[in-house]
Amino acid sequence: MNNSQQRPVARKEGLVIQEMRDEVLVFDTETNKAHCLNETAAFVWKSCNGTNSVADITRSFGNQSGKPVDENLVWLAIEQLNENNLLAENLQANFNGQSRREVIKKIGLAAVIALPIVSSLVAPTAALAVTCTGTQNSPCTGNNGNAGRCCGGNCCEGQAFNCRNNACG
Amino acid sequence: MLRTEPFDSVHLISMNGLPKRKDRFTENHIRFQAYGVKVGIEAEKQSHLKEIYSRLGRVFTGGLKPASESEIEYRFFVKRTRCGVYELYRNDEKTIEESDKEIFFDSVESQIRVTIAEFAREKVFLHAGVIGWKGRAIIIPATSYSGKTTLVAELAKKGALYYSDEYAILDADGNVEPFPKWLSLRGIIDDYTQLECSVESLGGVSGTETIPVKMILIARYDKKKKSPQKWRPKRLSGGQGMMEILPHTLPIRNKPEFVLKVLNKLVSRAIIVKTVRGEAKEFAETLLNFFEHNTDCNNP
Repeated sequence: MNNSQQRPVARKEGLVIQEMRDEVLVFDTETNKAHCLNETAAFVWKSCNGTNSVADITRSFGNQSGKPVDENLVWLAIEQLNENNLLAENLQANFNGQSRREVIKKIGLAAVIALPIVSSLVAPTAALAVTCTGTQNSPCTGNNGNAGRCCGGNCCEGQAFNCRNNACG
Repeated sequence: MLRTEPFDSVHLISMNGLPKRKDRFTENHIRFQAYGVKVGIEAEKQSHLKEIYSRLGRVFTGGLKPASESEIEYRFFVKRTRCGVYELYRNDEKTIEESDKEIFFDSVESQIRVTIAEFAREKVFLHAGVIGWKGRAIIIPATSYSGKTTLVAELAKKGALYYSDEYAILDADGNVEPFPKWLSLRGIIDDYTQLECSVESLGGVSGTETIPVKMILIARYDKKKKSPQKWRPKRLSGGQGMMEILPHTLPIRNKPEFVLKVLNKLVSRAIIVKTVRGEAKEFAETLLNFFEHNTDCNNP
């Protein structure tokens, strides 16, 4: 099967999906990661139904946007969806010998369509989302990482309980 | 519905079904519910309960409702070891160990508050400052030490209604409810020690109504930054705004589906702006001017 005929499948299990005006917000309940798919990435992801080939998705996106679309644009989206575990099966992007950077440069210069972007973050625990009292190396309370009310990415650790950087378990 | 009673003059929780005031501390436990979360607190000493009551009174300024023993979902137990170390257990798991009494009881209050915020029924708690202006709200999601309370206090001094310096409490429609806890101001003693004061003591007034949110401000403080006369902050899309808000959303891991629905309503009705700001006093004026001119303030 050549590259264009591959049929990606979007992952659905373990995801909470929130459709927005031009974007899609996806929350992965297994990893507690949130992903924001911009319009281009969202279109590609929603088209990944196991029936549409990459060529089909490219054509369909072109029809929808009314502008010519390079297949590599779809592959750029697939690559990011893959990296963020948003596809049911791993699908390696193939830019026909070009590097990702070269592809982005080429498409970016020519495209009137936004490049696909999947931005991600890890959602905090409730304790990490609230007020803290300890800066780095200051005393803190709690005997487990997140309960110590440390600030700015520091976590409570050690026998003496101090806020330390990179100590979040 | 049980009547909610305010805290009395010494910030003791007044609750139906508990002993009368003079006998209130003959038992070393208290049970209450807040935002649908049923909490029980037990302590070996009544003085420890008084410490907790006092702190909860400054947070839940509207009072709390009673809960019965069989309803309790989250049990807290406070004890002091022979070595003088204070310990807090939540549902039998030790969560805090601290020898400094003040830090310990501050942390206990914080943990109870976070538990309520995380598991509140039909509400989404964001860690954010909130003010009301002409029937519409600005929420300012931010981490600690970002100057959130200072900015909220300055806005309140300029006539904005004080809603919270800690939580934006969103209902299922994405509107914000008041949570007018005492403000926790830093920078008076030093940069880290918090002083609690009521908004009234600053000359401000608390909001009492649930109102729609029309602006979400993502602001980072930079003391070198001056407020320009014409302020043009970066506008964010709904998705970008959600990604800025999520790190400050307490129940996201616990009930993501509900949270995302509420946040979607929130961002679809509000403008979302991101900026670096200077001193709160100067910026507060700029912010209110911008809000007036970029949202329909006169038509709630």
